[in-house]
Amino acid sequence: MSATSVRSWLSCRLKVFGDSHFGCVYSRPFLTSTNLQNVQENTDRRYVKYDDNIVETETEKFRVFEIPGLKRVQRERRTQQKKREYEAQPRFKQMLPDQDWTKVWPGPATFKWSVVPFPVRQGFIPKPTIAGGVPPGKYANTELIKIPNFLHLTPGHVQQHCQAIKKFCTPWPAGLESDQKCHKHFPLEVVTQDYCFSGSSIRDARARSATVQFKLSDLDLDYHARDKFIRLVGPRYNKNTDEVTLTADRCPLKKQNYDFIIYLLTALYHESWTVELWEKEKTLDDMEKYFWDLNASRKNILELLKHIHTIEKDLKLSPNVKALPYLPENLSEENLLALKEVKSYKEAVTDLFNEDETKENLKKYKEAVRTLLNIQTKMMSPS
Amino acid sequence: MAAYCRSCIVNMQKAFQPVKFQSLLLHNIRRNFGTSTICRGLNGVPNKNLRAGKQKISINKDKPLTYEQTQPPNLIGVTKSWNSWNSGSLEGEREKNAAQIVFDDIFIRKFMYGTWHNLFASEVIIKRQYNQIIIAGLIEQSNHNNIYFLIGYTEELLSFLLKCPVKVEIQTVADKKDLIFRYI
Repeated sequence: MSATSVRSWLSCRLKVFGDSHFGCVYSRPFLTSTNLQNVQENTDRRYVKYDDNIVETETEKFRVFEIPGLKRVQRERRTQQKKREYEAQPRFKQMLPDQDWTKVWPGPATFKWSVVPFPVRQGFIPKPTIAGGVPPGKYANTELIKIPNFLHLTPGHVQQHCQAIKKFCTPWPAGLESDQKCHKHFPLEVVTQDYCFSGSSIRDARARSATVQFKLSDLDLDYHARDKFIRLVGPRYNKNTDEVTLTADRCPLKKQNYDFIIYLLTALYHESWTVELWEKEKTLDDMEKYFWDLNASRKNILELLKHIHTIEKDLKLSPNVKALPYLPENLSEENLLALKEVKSYKEAVTDLFNEDETKENLKKYKEAVRTLLNIQTKMMSPS
Repeated sequence: MAAYCRSCIVNMQKAFQPVKFQSLLLHNIRRNFGTSTICRGLNGVPNKNLRAGKQKISINKDKPLTYEQTQPPNLIGVTKSWNSWNSGSLEGEREKNAAQIVFDDIFIRKFMYGTWHNLFASEVIIKRQYNQIIIAGLIEQSNHNNIYFLIGYTEELLSFLLKCPVKVEIQTVADKKDLIFRYI
Protein backbone atom coordinates (compact mmCIF):
# COMPACT_ATOMS: atom_id res chain seq x y z
CA MET A 1 0.00 0.00 0.00
CA SER A 2 1.56 3.20 -1.09
CA ALA A 3 1.01 5.88 1.46
CA THR A 4 0.58 8.66 -1.02
CA SER A 5 -1.49 11.39 0.40
CA VAL A 6 -4.63 12.02 -1.56
CA ARG A 7 -5.88 15.57 -1.66
CA SER A 8 -9.03 15.49 0.28
CA TRP A 9 -11.52 18.21 0.82
CA LEU A 10 -14.10 15.71 1.78
CA SER A 11 -15.99 16.05 5.04
CA CYS A 12 -13.79 17.45 7.75
CA ARG A 13 -11.11 18.66 5.38
CA LEU A 14 -8.54 16.40 6.92
CA LYS A 15 -5.54 15.13 5.12
CA VAL A 16 -6.21 11.44 4.81
CA PHE A 17 -4.11 8.62 3.48
CA GLY A 18 -5.79 6.58 0.82
CA ASP A 19 -5.09 3.58 -1.27
CA SER A 20 -4.10 4.44 -4.80
CA HIS A 21 -6.04 1.38 -5.96
CA PHE A 22 -9.12 2.45 -4.16
CA GLY A 23 -12.17 1.32 -6.02
CA CYS A 24 -10.68 -1.99 -7.07
CA VAL A 25 -11.09 -3.34 -3.58
CA TYR A 26 -14.84 -3.50 -3.90
CA SER A 27 -15.95 -5.66 -6.76
CA ARG A 28 -18.63 -7.97 -8.01
CA PRO A 29 -17.73 -11.23 -6.15
CA PHE A 30 -19.10 -9.88 -2.90
CA LEU A 31 -22.60 -9.87 -4.23
CA THR A 32 -23.60 -13.36 -3.22
CA SER A 33 -27.12 -12.58 -2.09
CA THR A 34 -29.67 -13.95 -4.56
CA ASN A 35 -31.84 -10.90 -4.66
CA LEU A 36 -28.91 -8.76 -5.70
CA GLN A 37 -28.08 -10.75 -8.81
CA ASN A 38 -30.69 -9.30 -11.13
CA VAL A 39 -29.82 -5.74 -10.32
CA GLN A 40 -28.19 -3.72 -13.00
CA GLU A 41 -24.53 -2.94 -12.93
CA ASN A 42 -24.89 0.72 -12.03
CA THR A 43 -27.14 -0.01 -9.12
CA ASP A 44 -24.67 -2.61 -7.88
CA ARG A 45 -21.86 -0.20 -7.78
CA ARG A 46 -23.71 2.09 -5.49
CA TYR A 47 -24.53 -0.56 -2.95
CA VAL A 48 -21.17 -2.27 -3.06
CA LYS A 49 -19.07 0.77 -2.69
CA TYR A 50 -19.68 1.86 0.86
CA ASP A 51 -22.03 -0.79 1.99
CA ASP A 52 -21.60 -1.40 5.67
CA ASN A 53 -22.48 -5.06 5.60
CA ILE A 54 -19.78 -6.02 3.14
CA VAL A 55 -16.48 -6.86 4.74
CA GLU A 56 -13.26 -6.20 2.97
CA THR A 57 -11.65 -9.57 2.52
CA GLU A 58 -9.93 -8.88 -0.79
CA THR A 59 -6.63 -8.05 0.87
CA GLU A 60 -6.59 -11.35 2.77
CA LYS A 61 -6.88 -13.43 -0.43
CA PHE A 62 -3.98 -15.43 -1.78
CA ARG A 63 -2.16 -13.26 -4.24
CA VAL A 64 -1.72 -14.81 -7.66
CA PHE A 65 1.32 -13.86 -9.66
CA GLU A 66 0.24 -12.45 -12.98
CA ILE A 67 2.72 -12.41 -15.84
CA PRO A 68 2.76 -8.95 -17.35
CA GLY A 69 1.47 -8.90 -20.89
CA LEU A 70 -0.09 -12.35 -20.76
CA LYS A 71 -3.57 -11.11 -20.05
CA ARG A 72 -5.21 -8.20 -21.75
CA VAL A 73 -5.42 -5.35 -19.29
CA GLN A 74 -8.28 -2.96 -19.58
CA ARG A 75 -6.88 0.50 -19.23
CA GLU A 76 -8.72 3.25 -17.52
CA ARG A 77 -9.61 6.30 -19.44
CA ARG A 78 -7.77 9.42 -18.55
CA THR A 79 -10.94 11.14 -17.34
CA GLN A 80 -11.66 8.24 -15.03
CA GLN A 81 -8.09 8.30 -13.76
CA LYS A 82 -8.41 11.97 -13.05
CA LYS A 83 -11.69 11.48 -11.31
CA ARG A 84 -10.24 8.77 -9.11
CA GLU A 85 -7.49 11.16 -8.12
CA TYR A 86 -10.03 13.21 -6.16
CA GLU A 87 -11.67 10.24 -4.61
CA ALA A 88 -10.75 10.10 -0.96
CA GLN A 89 -11.04 7.41 1.65
CA PRO A 90 -14.08 8.19 3.81
CA ARG A 91 -13.25 9.15 7.34
CA PHE A 92 -15.28 6.42 9.00
CA LYS A 93 -12.94 3.83 7.53
CA GLN A 94 -10.06 5.17 9.61
CA MET A 95 -11.89 5.52 12.89
CA LEU A 96 -10.88 3.60 15.97
CA PRO A 97 -13.58 1.85 18.00
CA ASP A 98 -12.58 3.74 21.17
CA GLN A 99 -12.32 7.17 19.62
CA ASP A 100 -13.79 10.30 21.20
CA TRP A 101 -17.00 10.94 19.26
CA THR A 102 -17.26 14.50 20.56
CA LYS A 103 -14.07 15.33 18.67
CA VAL A 104 -15.47 13.86 15.46
CA TRP A 105 -18.87 15.54 15.71
CA PRO A 106 -18.36 18.64 17.85
CA GLY A 107 -21.57 20.52 17.04
CA PRO A 108 -24.86 20.30 15.21
CA ALA A 109 -24.28 19.43 11.57
CA THR A 110 -25.93 17.82 8.59
CA PHE A 111 -25.60 14.03 8.40
CA LYS A 112 -22.34 13.08 6.67
CA TRP A 113 -22.17 9.60 5.23
CA SER A 114 -18.38 9.71 5.24
CA VAL A 115 -18.11 10.44 8.97
CA VAL A 116 -20.90 8.45 10.61
CA PRO A 117 -19.38 5.05 11.41
CA PHE A 118 -22.53 3.02 12.02
CA PRO A 119 -24.71 1.42 9.32
CA VAL A 120 -27.97 3.26 8.70
CA ARG A 121 -30.54 3.09 5.93
CA GLN A 122 -33.42 5.30 4.95
CA GLY A 123 -35.87 5.04 2.09
CA PHE A 124 -38.83 3.12 0.81
CA ILE A 125 -38.60 0.34 -1.74
CA PRO A 126 -41.93 -0.50 -3.38
CA LYS A 127 -40.76 -3.86 -4.74
CA PRO A 128 -37.99 -6.29 -3.66
CA THR A 129 -36.52 -6.16 -7.17
CA ILE A 130 -35.73 -2.47 -6.84
CA ALA A 131 -32.40 -1.28 -5.49
CA GLY A 132 -31.26 -4.70 -4.41
CA GLY A 133 -34.25 -5.28 -2.17
CA VAL A 134 -32.89 -3.17 0.65
CA PRO A 135 -33.56 0.47 1.53
CA PRO A 136 -30.80 2.83 0.41
CA GLY A 137 -27.78 2.95 2.69
CA LYS A 138 -26.10 6.03 4.01
CA TYR A 139 -23.88 6.60 0.96
CA ALA A 140 -25.34 9.17 -1.45
CA ASN A 141 -28.61 9.21 0.50
CA THR A 142 -30.31 12.58 0.27
CA GLU A 143 -33.05 11.64 2.71
CA LEU A 144 -30.55 11.36 5.56
CA ILE A 145 -29.21 14.82 4.74
CA LYS A 146 -32.66 16.35 4.98
CA ILE A 147 -33.72 15.09 8.37
CA PRO A 148 -32.47 16.57 11.66
CA ASN A 149 -30.08 14.43 13.66
CA PHE A 150 -28.93 14.33 17.26
CA LEU A 151 -25.39 13.13 16.72
CA HIS A 152 -24.17 16.25 18.53
CA LEU A 153 -26.20 15.47 21.66
CA THR A 154 -24.79 12.16 22.86
CA PRO A 155 -24.28 11.69 26.63
CA GLY A 156 -20.60 12.53 26.11
CA HIS A 157 -21.49 15.84 24.48
CA VAL A 158 -23.96 16.76 27.20
CA GLN A 159 -21.41 15.97 29.88
CA GLN A 160 -18.83 18.18 28.19
CA HIS A 161 -21.35 20.99 27.80
CA CYS A 162 -22.21 20.74 31.48
CA GLN A 163 -18.54 20.79 32.46
CA ALA A 164 -17.95 23.83 30.27
CA ILE A 165 -20.80 25.91 31.66
CA LYS A 166 -20.30 24.82 35.26
CA LYS A 167 -18.00 27.73 35.98
CA PHE A 168 -20.77 30.19 35.11
CA CYS A 169 -23.24 28.61 37.52
CA THR A 170 -24.00 30.35 40.85
CA PRO A 171 -25.73 28.79 43.87
CA TRP A 172 -29.47 29.10 44.12
CA PRO A 173 -30.34 32.28 46.07
CA ALA A 174 -31.05 31.66 49.74
CA GLY A 175 -34.63 32.28 50.80
CA LEU A 176 -36.13 31.20 47.50
CA GLU A 177 -36.27 27.48 48.15
CA SER A 178 -39.97 26.93 47.53
CA ASP A 179 -42.51 28.27 45.05
CA GLN A 180 -44.40 30.02 47.84
CA LYS A 181 -41.26 31.94 48.85
CA CYS A 182 -40.53 32.88 45.23
CA HIS A 183 -44.09 34.13 44.85
CA LYS A 184 -43.84 36.13 48.06
CA HIS A 185 -40.70 37.99 46.94
CA PHE A 186 -41.57 38.25 43.25
CA PRO A 187 -45.35 38.59 43.00
CA LEU A 188 -45.32 40.06 39.48
CA GLU A 189 -44.87 37.70 36.53
CA VAL A 190 -43.84 39.42 33.30
CA VAL A 191 -44.19 37.51 30.02
CA THR A 192 -42.58 38.79 26.82
CA GLN A 193 -41.69 37.04 23.57
CA ASP A 194 -38.73 37.25 21.23
CA TYR A 195 -38.85 35.97 17.68
CA CYS A 196 -35.98 34.67 15.60
CA PHE A 197 -36.24 34.59 11.83
CA SER A 198 -33.74 33.50 9.22
CA GLY A 199 -34.48 36.20 6.71
CA SER A 200 -33.67 39.68 5.62
CA SER A 201 -35.52 41.34 8.50
CA ILE A 202 -35.11 40.62 12.20
CA ARG A 203 -38.08 42.80 13.12
CA ASP A 204 -41.23 41.12 14.32
CA ALA A 205 -44.33 43.06 15.27
CA ARG A 206 -45.44 40.30 17.62
CA ALA A 207 -42.41 40.87 19.87
CA ARG A 208 -43.73 44.21 21.12
CA SER A 209 -46.49 42.87 23.37
CA ALA A 210 -45.96 42.42 27.10
CA THR A 211 -48.04 40.62 29.72
CA VAL A 212 -48.05 41.07 33.50
CA GLN A 213 -49.71 38.55 35.80
CA PHE A 214 -50.26 38.77 39.54
CA LYS A 215 -52.58 37.51 42.24
CA LEU A 216 -55.20 39.96 43.41
CA SER A 217 -54.68 38.85 46.99
CA ASP A 218 -51.14 40.27 46.83
CA LEU A 219 -52.50 43.80 46.52
CA ASP A 220 -53.42 45.69 49.68
CA LEU A 221 -57.18 46.17 49.10
CA ASP A 222 -60.24 46.34 51.35
CA TYR A 223 -63.62 44.85 50.37
CA HIS A 224 -64.79 47.91 48.43
CA ALA A 225 -61.44 48.44 46.67
CA ARG A 226 -61.20 44.79 45.72
CA ASP A 227 -64.72 44.79 44.33
CA LYS A 228 -64.03 47.96 42.37
CA PHE A 229 -60.74 46.56 41.06
CA ILE A 230 -62.47 43.43 39.78
CA ARG A 231 -65.18 45.56 38.14
CA LEU A 232 -62.53 47.76 36.51
CA VAL A 233 -60.37 44.96 35.05
CA GLY A 234 -63.42 43.01 33.87
CA PRO A 235 -62.56 39.76 32.04
CA ARG A 236 -58.84 40.14 32.85
CA TYR A 237 -59.55 38.77 36.32
CA ASN A 238 -59.72 35.00 36.70
CA LYS A 239 -62.05 34.17 39.58
CA ASN A 240 -60.88 30.59 39.94
CA THR A 241 -57.16 31.33 40.25
CA ASP A 242 -57.51 34.87 41.69
CA GLU A 243 -55.13 36.07 38.97
CA VAL A 244 -55.18 39.31 37.03
CA THR A 245 -53.61 39.31 33.55
CA LEU A 246 -52.81 42.63 31.92
CA THR A 247 -51.62 42.60 28.30
CA ALA A 248 -50.58 45.57 26.16
CA ASP A 249 -49.44 45.83 22.56
CA ARG A 250 -50.49 49.37 21.73
CA CYS A 251 -46.99 50.86 21.82
CA PRO A 252 -44.35 50.05 19.18
CA LEU A 253 -41.74 48.76 21.66
CA LYS A 254 -41.75 46.06 24.31
CA LYS A 255 -40.36 48.37 26.99
CA GLN A 256 -43.04 50.97 26.32
CA ASN A 257 -45.77 48.35 26.58
CA TYR A 258 -44.35 47.06 29.86
CA ASP A 259 -44.17 50.61 31.23
CA PHE A 260 -47.75 51.17 30.16
CA ILE A 261 -48.90 48.07 32.06
CA ILE A 262 -47.11 49.21 35.21
CA TYR A 263 -48.72 52.62 34.85
CA LEU A 264 -52.08 50.94 34.31
CA LEU A 265 -51.61 48.82 37.44
CA THR A 266 -50.78 51.89 39.53
CA ALA A 267 -53.78 53.79 38.20
CA LEU A 268 -56.10 50.82 38.82
CA TYR A 269 -54.88 50.43 42.39
CA HIS A 270 -55.41 54.06 43.33
CA GLU A 271 -58.69 54.28 41.48
CA SER A 272 -59.98 51.26 43.41
CA TRP A 273 -59.35 52.95 46.74
CA THR A 274 -61.24 56.14 45.87
CA VAL A 275 -64.96 56.22 46.71
CA GLU A 276 -66.93 58.45 44.38
CA LEU A 277 -70.12 60.22 45.37
CA TRP A 278 -72.24 58.26 42.96
CA GLU A 279 -71.10 54.99 44.52
CA LYS A 280 -73.43 55.72 47.47
CA GLU A 281 -76.38 55.42 45.11
CA LYS A 282 -75.76 51.69 44.83
CA THR A 283 -79.07 49.84 45.02
CA LEU A 284 -79.85 46.21 45.78
CA ASP A 285 -79.75 45.39 42.06
CA ASP A 286 -76.16 46.71 41.79
CA MET A 287 -74.87 44.40 44.48
CA GLU A 288 -72.18 42.01 43.33
CA LYS A 289 -73.58 39.30 45.64
CA TYR A 290 -76.35 38.53 48.13
CA PHE A 291 -76.23 40.39 51.43
CA TRP A 292 -78.69 39.00 53.99
CA ASP A 293 -78.60 42.14 56.10
CA LEU A 294 -79.85 44.29 53.22
CA ASN A 295 -82.46 41.90 51.92
CA ALA A 296 -86.08 41.14 52.83
CA SER A 297 -85.14 37.83 54.43
CA ARG A 298 -83.75 39.58 57.50
CA LYS A 299 -86.83 41.69 57.96
CA ASN A 300 -89.16 38.71 57.50
CA ILE A 301 -87.33 36.52 60.00
CA LEU A 302 -87.26 39.20 62.65
CA GLU A 303 -90.95 39.92 62.16
CA LEU A 304 -91.81 36.22 62.29
CA LEU A 305 -89.92 35.67 65.53
CA LYS A 306 -91.52 38.71 67.08
CA HIS A 307 -94.95 37.54 65.91
CA ILE A 308 -94.48 34.07 67.42
CA HIS A 309 -93.32 35.69 70.63
CA THR A 310 -96.44 37.86 70.88
CA ILE A 311 -98.75 34.88 70.23
CA GLU A 312 -97.01 32.89 72.95
CA LYS A 313 -97.28 35.85 75.28
CA ASP A 314 -101.00 36.23 74.58
CA LEU A 315 -101.66 32.54 75.22
CA LYS A 316 -99.55 32.70 78.39
CA LEU A 317 -97.90 29.38 77.76
CA SER A 318 -95.45 27.92 80.24
CA PRO A 319 -91.79 27.80 79.11
CA ASN A 320 -91.93 23.99 78.81
CA VAL A 321 -94.50 24.05 76.03
CA LYS A 322 -93.22 27.11 74.20
CA ALA A 323 -92.74 26.67 70.47
CA LEU A 324 -89.42 28.50 70.46
CA PRO A 325 -87.79 28.07 73.87
CA TYR A 326 -84.58 29.83 72.80
CA LEU A 327 -86.23 33.25 72.38
CA PRO A 328 -85.12 35.79 75.00
CA GLU A 329 -87.47 38.08 76.84
CA ASN A 330 -86.03 41.23 75.31
CA LEU A 331 -86.62 41.02 71.57
CA SER A 332 -84.34 43.82 70.38
CA GLU A 333 -82.77 43.42 66.94
CA GLU A 334 -79.29 43.01 68.42
CA ASN A 335 -80.45 40.23 70.71
CA LEU A 336 -82.23 38.41 67.94
CA LEU A 337 -79.32 38.72 65.50
CA ALA A 338 -76.93 37.42 68.13
CA LEU A 339 -78.87 34.18 68.44
CA LYS A 340 -76.98 31.21 67.04
CA GLU A 341 -80.16 29.88 65.36
CA VAL A 342 -80.58 33.14 63.42
CA LYS A 343 -76.87 33.27 62.58
CA SER A 344 -76.90 29.77 61.12
CA TYR A 345 -80.05 30.62 59.10
CA LYS A 346 -78.36 33.76 57.74
CA GLU A 347 -75.31 31.76 56.73
CA ALA A 348 -77.40 29.08 55.04
CA VAL A 349 -79.44 31.57 53.00
CA THR A 350 -76.34 33.54 51.97
CA ASP A 351 -74.59 30.37 50.84
CA LEU A 352 -77.64 29.31 48.88
CA PHE A 353 -77.63 32.58 46.93
CA ASN A 354 -73.91 33.26 46.59
CA GLU A 355 -72.71 29.74 45.92
CA ASP A 356 -74.94 27.28 44.23
CA GLU A 357 -77.98 25.19 45.03
CA THR A 358 -75.86 22.21 45.84
CA LYS A 359 -76.98 19.26 47.90
CA GLU A 360 -74.89 20.38 50.87
CA ASN A 361 -76.24 23.94 50.81
CA LEU A 362 -79.84 22.75 50.60
CA LYS A 363 -79.27 20.33 53.49
CA LYS A 364 -77.69 23.12 55.50
CA TYR A 365 -80.69 25.35 54.78
CA LYS A 366 -83.08 22.61 55.83
CA GLU A 367 -81.27 22.10 59.15
CA ALA A 368 -81.15 25.86 59.76
CA VAL A 369 -84.91 26.23 59.23
CA ARG A 370 -85.64 23.23 61.46
CA THR A 371 -83.57 24.60 64.33
CA LEU A 372 -84.94 28.10 63.85
CA LEU A 373 -88.60 26.98 63.98
CA ASN A 374 -87.87 24.14 66.40
CA ILE A 375 -89.40 21.46 64.20
CA GLN A 376 -88.58 18.14 65.83
CA THR A 377 -90.47 15.64 63.71
CA LYS A 378 -88.61 12.53 62.77
CA MET A 379 -88.34 11.34 59.26
CA MET A 380 -90.87 8.66 58.48
CA SER A 381 -89.17 5.51 57.38
CA PRO A 382 -90.61 4.15 54.14
CA SER A 383 -92.47 1.00 55.11
CA MET B 1 -20.81 59.99 -25.16
CA ALA B 2 -22.94 61.65 -22.54
CA ALA B 3 -26.13 60.53 -24.27
CA TYR B 4 -24.86 56.99 -24.41
CA CYS B 5 -24.09 56.99 -20.73
CA ARG B 6 -27.51 58.33 -19.88
CA SER B 7 -29.29 55.67 -21.91
CA CYS B 8 -27.07 53.06 -20.32
CA ILE B 9 -28.03 54.27 -16.88
CA VAL B 10 -31.70 54.29 -17.81
CA ASN B 11 -31.39 50.72 -19.05
CA MET B 12 -29.68 49.68 -15.85
CA GLN B 13 -32.36 51.34 -13.77
CA LYS B 14 -35.00 49.50 -15.73
CA ALA B 15 -33.19 46.25 -15.29
CA PHE B 16 -32.88 46.66 -11.53
CA GLN B 17 -36.34 47.88 -10.79
CA PRO B 18 -37.66 45.75 -7.96
CA VAL B 19 -40.91 44.97 -9.78
CA LYS B 20 -39.04 43.79 -12.82
CA PHE B 21 -36.75 41.66 -10.70
CA GLN B 22 -39.70 40.05 -8.94
CA SER B 23 -41.61 39.32 -12.12
CA LEU B 24 -38.48 37.74 -13.53
CA LEU B 25 -38.30 35.36 -10.60
CA LEU B 26 -42.04 34.77 -10.40
CA HIS B 27 -41.92 33.71 -14.03
CA ASN B 28 -39.87 30.71 -12.99
CA ILE B 29 -41.71 29.93 -9.78
CA ARG B 30 -43.85 27.25 -11.33
CA ARG B 31 -40.76 25.30 -12.32
CA ASN B 32 -39.43 25.48 -8.79
CA PHE B 33 -42.69 24.24 -7.32
CA GLY B 34 -42.26 20.95 -9.18
CA THR B 35 -42.11 18.81 -6.08
CA SER B 36 -43.96 20.88 -3.53
CA THR B 37 -47.00 19.89 -1.54
CA ILE B 38 -49.07 22.32 -3.56
CA CYS B 39 -49.77 19.50 -6.03
CA ARG B 40 -51.45 17.47 -3.34
CA GLY B 41 -55.19 17.22 -3.81
CA LEU B 42 -55.46 20.64 -5.41
CA ASN B 43 -59.08 21.64 -6.13
CA GLY B 44 -60.19 18.11 -5.36
CA VAL B 45 -58.42 16.66 -8.39
CA PRO B 46 -57.87 12.91 -7.89
CA ASN B 47 -54.28 11.85 -7.44
CA LYS B 48 -54.23 9.74 -10.60
CA ASN B 49 -54.89 12.81 -12.74
CA LEU B 50 -52.06 14.85 -11.28
CA ARG B 51 -48.95 14.79 -13.44
CA ALA B 52 -46.71 17.40 -11.89
CA GLY B 53 -43.51 15.95 -10.45
CA LYS B 54 -44.22 12.45 -11.73
CA GLN B 55 -41.76 10.74 -14.09
CA LYS B 56 -42.83 9.11 -17.32
CA ILE B 57 -41.70 5.59 -18.09
CA SER B 58 -39.30 5.35 -21.01
CA ILE B 59 -39.68 2.87 -23.87
CA ASN B 60 -36.58 0.85 -23.03
CA LYS B 61 -37.04 1.32 -19.28
CA ASP B 62 -33.54 2.67 -19.01
CA LYS B 63 -34.25 6.15 -17.68
CA PRO B 64 -32.18 6.59 -14.52
CA LEU B 65 -33.92 8.17 -11.56
CA THR B 66 -32.73 9.22 -8.13
CA TYR B 67 -34.70 8.32 -5.03
CA GLU B 68 -36.07 11.85 -4.93
CA GLN B 69 -37.37 11.58 -8.48
CA THR B 70 -39.01 8.20 -8.00
CA GLN B 71 -41.30 9.46 -5.25
CA PRO B 72 -44.23 11.55 -6.54
CA PRO B 73 -45.16 14.79 -4.79
CA ASN B 74 -48.09 13.25 -2.96
CA LEU B 75 -45.62 11.08 -1.04
CA ILE B 76 -43.75 14.04 0.43
CA GLY B 77 -43.80 13.47 4.14
CA VAL B 78 -44.48 9.75 3.59
CA THR B 79 -41.57 8.19 1.73
CA LYS B 80 -39.46 11.27 1.19
CA SER B 81 -39.14 14.49 3.13
CA TRP B 82 -39.18 18.13 2.16
CA ASN B 83 -36.34 19.93 0.43
CA SER B 84 -37.02 23.08 2.44
CA TRP B 85 -37.13 22.83 6.21
CA ASN B 86 -38.55 25.82 8.02
CA SER B 87 -41.30 26.87 10.40
CA GLY B 88 -43.16 28.91 7.78
CA SER B 89 -46.21 26.64 7.81
CA LEU B 90 -46.84 26.96 11.56
CA GLU B 91 -49.79 28.87 12.96
CA GLY B 92 -48.89 32.51 13.39
CA GLU B 93 -45.83 32.23 11.14
CA ARG B 94 -47.82 31.54 8.01
CA GLU B 95 -49.21 35.01 7.51
CA LYS B 96 -45.95 36.68 8.33
CA ASN B 97 -43.02 34.78 6.89
CA ALA B 98 -44.21 32.02 4.56
CA ALA B 99 -44.14 34.07 1.38
CA GLN B 100 -40.76 35.54 2.24
CA ILE B 101 -39.34 32.08 2.93
CA VAL B 102 -40.60 30.66 -0.39
CA PHE B 103 -39.29 33.66 -2.27
CA ASP B 104 -35.86 33.43 -0.61
CA ASP B 105 -35.68 29.67 -1.18
CA ILE B 106 -36.34 30.06 -4.88
CA PHE B 107 -33.65 32.70 -5.04
CA ILE B 108 -31.18 30.46 -3.17
CA ARG B 109 -31.91 27.51 -5.48
CA LYS B 110 -31.41 29.61 -8.58
CA PHE B 111 -28.22 31.01 -7.13
CA MET B 112 -26.91 27.54 -6.31
CA TYR B 113 -27.76 26.05 -9.69
CA GLY B 114 -26.02 28.92 -11.40
CA THR B 115 -22.99 29.22 -9.16
CA TRP B 116 -22.40 25.50 -8.65
CA HIS B 117 -23.09 24.79 -12.27
CA ASN B 118 -23.38 21.09 -13.13
CA LEU B 119 -21.91 20.11 -9.77
CA PHE B 120 -24.97 19.17 -7.75
CA ALA B 121 -25.91 15.51 -7.82
CA SER B 122 -28.88 15.94 -5.49
CA GLU B 123 -31.42 18.69 -4.93
CA VAL B 124 -30.47 21.80 -2.98
CA ILE B 125 -31.72 21.30 0.56
CA ILE B 126 -32.40 24.47 2.53
CA LYS B 127 -32.78 24.24 6.27
CA ARG B 128 -33.58 27.21 8.47
CA GLN B 129 -32.58 27.15 12.11
CA TYR B 130 -32.84 30.14 14.44
CA ASN B 131 -31.52 33.01 12.33
CA GLN B 132 -29.31 30.96 10.06
CA ILE B 133 -29.83 29.24 6.74
CA ILE B 134 -28.10 25.93 6.05
CA ILE B 135 -27.70 24.85 2.45
CA ALA B 136 -26.95 21.16 2.09
CA GLY B 137 -26.60 18.76 -0.79
CA LEU B 138 -24.48 16.21 -2.57
CA ILE B 139 -22.02 17.18 -5.27
CA GLU B 140 -19.69 15.25 -7.49
CA GLN B 141 -16.05 15.16 -6.48
CA SER B 142 -13.87 17.54 -8.45
CA ASN B 143 -11.03 19.96 -7.91
CA HIS B 144 -11.14 20.78 -4.24
CA ASN B 145 -9.67 24.26 -4.61
CA ASN B 146 -12.65 25.29 -6.69
CA ILE B 147 -15.01 23.88 -4.12
CA TYR B 148 -13.28 25.73 -1.28
CA PHE B 149 -13.71 28.93 -3.22
CA LEU B 150 -17.35 28.20 -4.06
CA ILE B 151 -18.23 27.47 -0.45
CA GLY B 152 -16.68 30.71 0.75
CA TYR B 153 -18.10 32.71 -2.12
CA THR B 154 -21.62 31.33 -1.64
CA GLU B 155 -21.61 31.81 2.13
CA GLU B 156 -20.30 35.34 1.87
CA LEU B 157 -22.55 36.50 -0.92
CA LEU B 158 -25.76 34.86 0.31
CA SER B 159 -25.14 36.09 3.87
CA PHE B 160 -24.84 39.57 2.46
CA LEU B 161 -27.90 39.29 0.24
CA LEU B 162 -30.19 37.57 2.74
CA LYS B 163 -28.80 39.49 5.73
CA CYS B 164 -28.45 36.42 7.93
CA PRO B 165 -25.73 33.79 8.46
CA VAL B 166 -25.67 31.23 5.65
CA LYS B 167 -23.81 27.95 6.00
CA VAL B 168 -23.01 25.62 3.12
CA GLU B 169 -22.76 21.98 4.21
CA ILE B 170 -21.73 20.13 1.08
CA GLN B 171 -20.85 16.46 0.79
CA THR B 172 -19.38 14.61 -2.10
CA VAL B 173 -20.08 11.44 -4.01
CA ALA B 174 -17.64 9.83 -6.41
CA ASP B 175 -20.09 9.88 -9.27
CA LYS B 176 -23.50 11.35 -9.97
CA LYS B 177 -24.57 7.86 -11.01
CA ASP B 178 -24.22 6.73 -7.41
CA LEU B 179 -27.51 8.45 -6.69
CA ILE B 180 -29.42 6.32 -9.18
CA PHE B 181 -32.15 4.43 -7.37
CA ARG B 182 -33.94 2.68 -10.21
CA TYR B 183 -34.50 2.70 -13.95
CA ILE B 184 -37.94 3.24 -15.41
